[in-house]
Amino acid sequence: MVNLTIDGKQVTVSKTATIYDAAKEVGINIPVLCYAKKLLPYGACRFCLVQVEQMKGRLIPACTTPVSEGMVVTTTSEEIQKVRKTVMEFLLVNHVLDCPVCDKGGECDLQDLAYEFGSISNRFEGVKFDLPTDEINPLIERNMNRCVLCGRCVRVCDEVVGYGSYSFINRGFETKIATAYDRGLNCEFCGQCVSLCPVGAILPRPFKFKARPWQIKEVDSVCGYCGNGCTVTLGVLDNKIETIRFNDEIGVNDGNLCIRGRFGYAYVNHQKRLTKPLVRKEGQLVEVEWDEALQVAAEGLSNAQNGQGVGILSGARLTNEEFFLLKNLAKTIGTDHLDHSGGECYKGVSEGLNETLGVKASTGTFPQLESCDVILAIRSDFWETHPVVGMVVNQAIRRNDAQLVVVADKRGKLTKLPRARTLLTKAGYELSILNAMSKVLLDEGLAQVDGLQNLDAFKAALSEYTPENVAQQTGVDADLLKDSARKLAGAKKSAILLAYGLPYTAQSKELAAAAANLALLAGIPGRAGSGLYLCGEKANSQGAIDLGVLPAGNGLGAQQMLTAAGEGKLDALYVIAEDPISSYPDRQMVEQAMDKVGFSVVQDLFLSATAEKADVVFPAASFAEKEGTFTNAERRIQRVRQGIKSPGEAKTDGAIISALANKLGNTLSFTGEAAIFAEIGKDVPAYAEFNYHEIGSQGVVWGGETLAPTRRNLVSVSAEQPASADYHLVTGSALYHSGTVSVHASGPLAVMPEAYVELGREDAAALGVNDGDLLKVAGNGVEIQLKAKVDNRLPKGLLFAPYHFGNAGLNKLYRGEAVVAVSVSK
Amino acid sequence: MNDYPQVLFKNRLPGETVTLRSYEKTGGYQGLRKALKMSPNEICELVKDSGLRGRGGAGFPTGIKWSFFPSKAPGEKYLVCNGDEMEPGTYKDRQLLRADPHQLIEGMVIASYALQATAGYIFLRYAYEECAQNVERAIAEAKAAGYLGENILGSGFALSLHVHRSAGRYILGEETALLNGLEGKRPNPRAKPPFPAQRGLFGKPTNVNNVETLANVSHIINHGPVWFQELALTIEGSGTKLFGLSGHLNRTTCFELPLGIPLREVVETYGGGIRQGRAFKACLPGGASTPYLTAEHLDLPMDFNPLEEVGSRIGTAGVTVFDETTCMVAVTRNLVQFFARESCGFCTPCRDGLPMVSWLLDKIEHGLGNHDDLCLLAKQVQNITGRSFCALAEGAMGPVESLLRLFEQELKDHIQKGQCPFL
Ligand SMILES: Cc1cc2nc3c(=O)[nH]c(=O)nc-3n(C[C@H](O)[C@H](O)[C@H](O)COP(=O)(O)O)c2cc1C
Ligand code: SF4
Ligand code: SF4
Ligand code: SF4
Ligand code: SF4
Ligand code: FES
Repeated sequence: MVNLTIDGKQVTVSKTATIYDAAKEVGINIPVLCYAKKLLPYGACRFCLVQVEQMKGRLIPACTTPVSEGMVVTTTSEEIQKVRKTVMEFLLVNHVLDCPVCDKGGECDLQDLAYEFGSISNRFEGVKFDLPTDEINPLIERNMNRCVLCGRCVRVCDEVVGYGSYSFINRGFETKIATAYDRGLNCEFCGQCVSLCPVGAILPRPFKFKARPWQIKEVDSVCGYCGNGCTVTLGVLDNKIETIRFNDEIGVNDGNLCIRGRFGYAYVNHQKRLTKPLVRKEGQLVEVEWDEALQVAAEGLSNAQNGQGVGILSGARLTNEEFFLLKNLAKTIGTDHLDHSGGECYKGVSEGLNETLGVKASTGTFPQLESCDVILAIRSDFWETHPVVGMVVNQAIRRNDAQLVVVADKRGKLTKLPRARTLLTKAGYELSILNAMSKVLLDEGLAQVDGLQNLDAFKAALSEYTPENVAQQTGVDADLLKDSARKLAGAKKSAILLAYGLPYTAQSKELAAAAANLALLAGIPGRAGSGLYLCGEKANSQGAIDLGVLPAGNGLGAQQMLTAAGEGKLDALYVIAEDPISSYPDRQMVEQAMDKVGFSVVQDLFLSATAEKADVVFPAASFAEKEGTFTNAERRIQRVRQGIKSPGEAKTDGAIISALANKLGNTLSFTGEAAIFAEIGKDVPAYAEFNYHEIGSQGVVWGGETLAPTRRNLVSVSAEQPASADYHLVTGSALYHSGTVSVHASGPLAVMPEAYVELGREDAAALGVNDGDLLKVAGNGVEIQLKAKVDNRLPKGLLFAPYHFGNAGLNKLYRGEAVVAVSVSK
Repeated sequence: MNDYPQVLFKNRLPGETVTLRSYEKTGGYQGLRKALKMSPNEICELVKDSGLRGRGGAGFPTGIKWSFFPSKAPGEKYLVCNGDEMEPGTYKDRQLLRADPHQLIEGMVIASYALQATAGYIFLRYAYEECAQNVERAIAEAKAAGYLGENILGSGFALSLHVHRSAGRYILGEETALLNGLEGKRPNPRAKPPFPAQRGLFGKPTNVNNVETLANVSHIINHGPVWFQELALTIEGSGTKLFGLSGHLNRTTCFELPLGIPLREVVETYGGGIRQGRAFKACLPGGASTPYLTAEHLDLPMDFNPLEEVGSRIGTAGVTVFDETTCMVAVTRNLVQFFARESCGFCTPCRDGLPMVSWLLDKIEHGLGNHDDLCLLAKQVQNITGRSFCALAEGAMGPVESLLRLFEQELKDHIQKGQCPFL
């Protein structure tokens, strides 16, 4: 700690603080423009100049200068005010000052500073810029005439997003911000530059001329897409979300968002939202009143008693409170057949981690990742599934020189980060590589083996997984593999990242167990600052596991329910917030289930492919229309808040489930989310320590920052050999979409409007395929057509197709394998 | 015609570049042999004792800079030679690179050994292609002779040297901008701290020195610090200095002269006096960013401290002389235009302030200025000096500040006459 004096006040701050930080600590606000909390010190605008007794003769930038012991700082004086005024004047030399037509007006830092420091009259007859605006893309508009060259966009896109869209070009007075070759912006569209631009130079296009900032009502909630659990601030006007706003003071995400959170909100306002319940009459789904729909559903579900009864399949986007009600409903119905998310992909957590560590969740928290020395990511897709965690990894690398190792079958955003080491493996062999890394640690005596159960059996089971064997199988360099294992074990703080979700079904339990074994040997679980992160794809994937939306006792899991239904053995199916026909592996099986099941109820925002086959369809509410909690992939319980009313007669899942339970004779009623949350604590001890109303803006993390394993058990797992063929297809997440909801959102659709199959240049050349050509992909006896996307991410023989677009029929081929052997032709 | 001891130029022959063999004949690489028998720390101390100050313009004591360097830190460490030399009126490094590249290489190997650097980069101005080839040839010769590469002269010390051709902008001479340029990034200066010695090229500890600074090193090792100190004519000074003459002189070439030599001697003896028998009016003593000296300063010793005492700097000792017919407003305007153009555009006072100063000078030079403009000019000098991110803008204000101080009447004449009085 360092002691200094600022404007006569004594301050004690950490020695890494800047003068600006220290002043803030004691409530002294030094004006800044180029400074941004989340970016590295920069010092360009010179607004924050202050006097320091010990550095006489010049003024010192408060935002870049570290504090030192005994410093005496003056933050305002006549001289300082004069300088700030001049800086203002310099900045306005070429600024267009078109505030009346600028959407930033009212929350513009330049406006505020001009208000504080001076007139806008200018003694310098300089030239105003007259640069064309960049509005080629539908999401972000750039008007460089308003730019004050603070570099925040350049920096955030590089330092945080890791994309690097922007750079300064030209020199001196002509300096401006440009993209490569000064073309239109074409990037990830995460909108981070929009958030950070202090003036109206970078603005969200969907919000253009929609409202003045002060007219907007702000509601802090949690993004409804992925398990990252970013805090989003809904900008609401007239019961409509008009924009998503930026707030780096709250949330686990530091104000960072990905395109889905930033621009993917429009599905909420979509005109195709279901607004009235539907019931099938004479083969047609027709709109009915709620009471009738509930009655039909209740009757259908109570009558379903001939065979195996009712199966309930949920998605992972319900709130914890809704999950609780759903479990309750299952009890009322008297069924044990309850499951979520396809039933397989999360087994890495519910079984893999449970058997090895005795816990069913990630052991660390996301902010801790930033100070890890070594980070091992399994699959390059982790960035795509959890982009904002990816940004933390990027910062760990850039700020703290972390070493990233990626075990991946293809290149991607993660593998392009600075100094990232990629262990590029043949698709489907990740598990073998993890096993080999475990073996290296054991053979070289680097493993922490104290207190590990099953060590001998584990060692024996690894005998075949020598780095050399595995190298030969997978194509990964044996020395790199060994060195990576050593690095992981040698680090003070390290992390292993693995995402799960519907497109990552194969060997999910085994892969997680292999990761956990390696983590145990490297001493990761339970060590402060280190963590094994198993991250669910959806906003409340972790909540579904915590709340136990899983088959009870001998209940059927998702796959078994669908199989039983297809065989006519299940009487009824209740599907909530899920479109299995579009997104589950093996579409034929799901379709057959929906066709053969005696009775089906689907509850969703849209008339999905699955809903089209249902007997009753309930119109449900989006995340923006409800209250409750989500638990993100690092066990953080956060408050979801209602920003708008649901369209038409749509109701929250919780309200529908309660109403249905009522119809079925369940008299249990809970008044409000807080009461339900308290009730959850009785079933889920980890939640018992929290009070709903006390969940603050950072949420609360159950189990603590570092979740202690309750057992340390090595579980031997072996790799399945993927089928061999000339071409292999893998599926997964694309950065711009999440599950199947974002395909209703105009923002993500603007960037990625349709399904595609990606292939490397070498294969494309061999097949004579160009970007955009239609390709026939056949496997598992089915052929589909997809547009080709050619780039240099994929090695020879590997194809990738994202799973979000139900209409493309990818899941006709994909039946949950790690890789699908396919043939490809034009 | 130069009676003073020649150290850096001792091997220089017109139009020739010294080969390894002739360099060795005059004692070349003896300094290195000697240095490799010393400890790195001893070398730093020796250089500190010699009083050598940086020749790149800022004049920081070299030995002290080296002693801050984390030479014991593990991993890569770099020595970078700054040969950007884009300061108007400065061309001394080019003479060294043309005449005697081995002298630089020897200096760099010794410096690298003292700093325990693992690799060295020689960063050269884009226009110095001939020099770049000279240095590359010399590197190859040195490597073949065992002065570079693995296990230099059997000492176990290893070093590789690389030539980098700059994309060519004045700001690249600023050492942190240079590092960005070397990394292939846009050459904006970097925030300090962290200083290059902590986090420099590619994030590794890096020391940057000027060509001339490094060229002195082998001689200091060979002849000792006392010898070096005694080369200067002032008591506190040490060493010789390359003076690159330009402007209204009869002779505009580069001379190696002792530090502390009176300005008059530089102008009259070495510059051959003012052209066409005119009178000396002013000079930039050390490149375009140093405040003017006038006739009253002709007897000043040309060394760091005496020049600072009169509000100027020796800078690079590129002396540009102006005769009595010169309009100093026009000169200054020209210089500020250069700086405004070369501003990297990173910080507000420089990017937007220099054009404003340039615009004011333009106005005054064209007889369109008034007294308010003059006041504004004075204010803006204050508002820019010491407010910018790097030293470029401050340097740019050097001539303007001294214009206001030394040539106030000339400025006023422009305003009163409504035109340039020298027209
Ligand atoms: C705008 C600007 C331009 C500079 N140009 C040069 C240059 O061309 N050559 C040089 O050696 N130093 C130049 N410098 C000084 C360097 O930043 C640095 O101080 C010097 O290279 C250190 O070497 P020295 O200690 O050996 O002088 C420049 C500084 C500034 C601010
Ligand atoms: S939207 Fe994101 S990726 Fe695109 S330029 Fe802005 S910060 Fe970079
Ligand atoms: S566009 Fe905005 S964020 Fe980027 S430099 Fe200009 S003012 Fe700053
Ligand atoms: S989709 Fe995930 S990463 Fe993107 S904003 Fe939402 S929670 Fe954050
Ligand atoms: S003073 Fe000029 S050259 Fe230096 S950082 Fe600022 S704008 Fe760039
Ligand atoms: S806020 Fe400190 S220089 Fe811009």
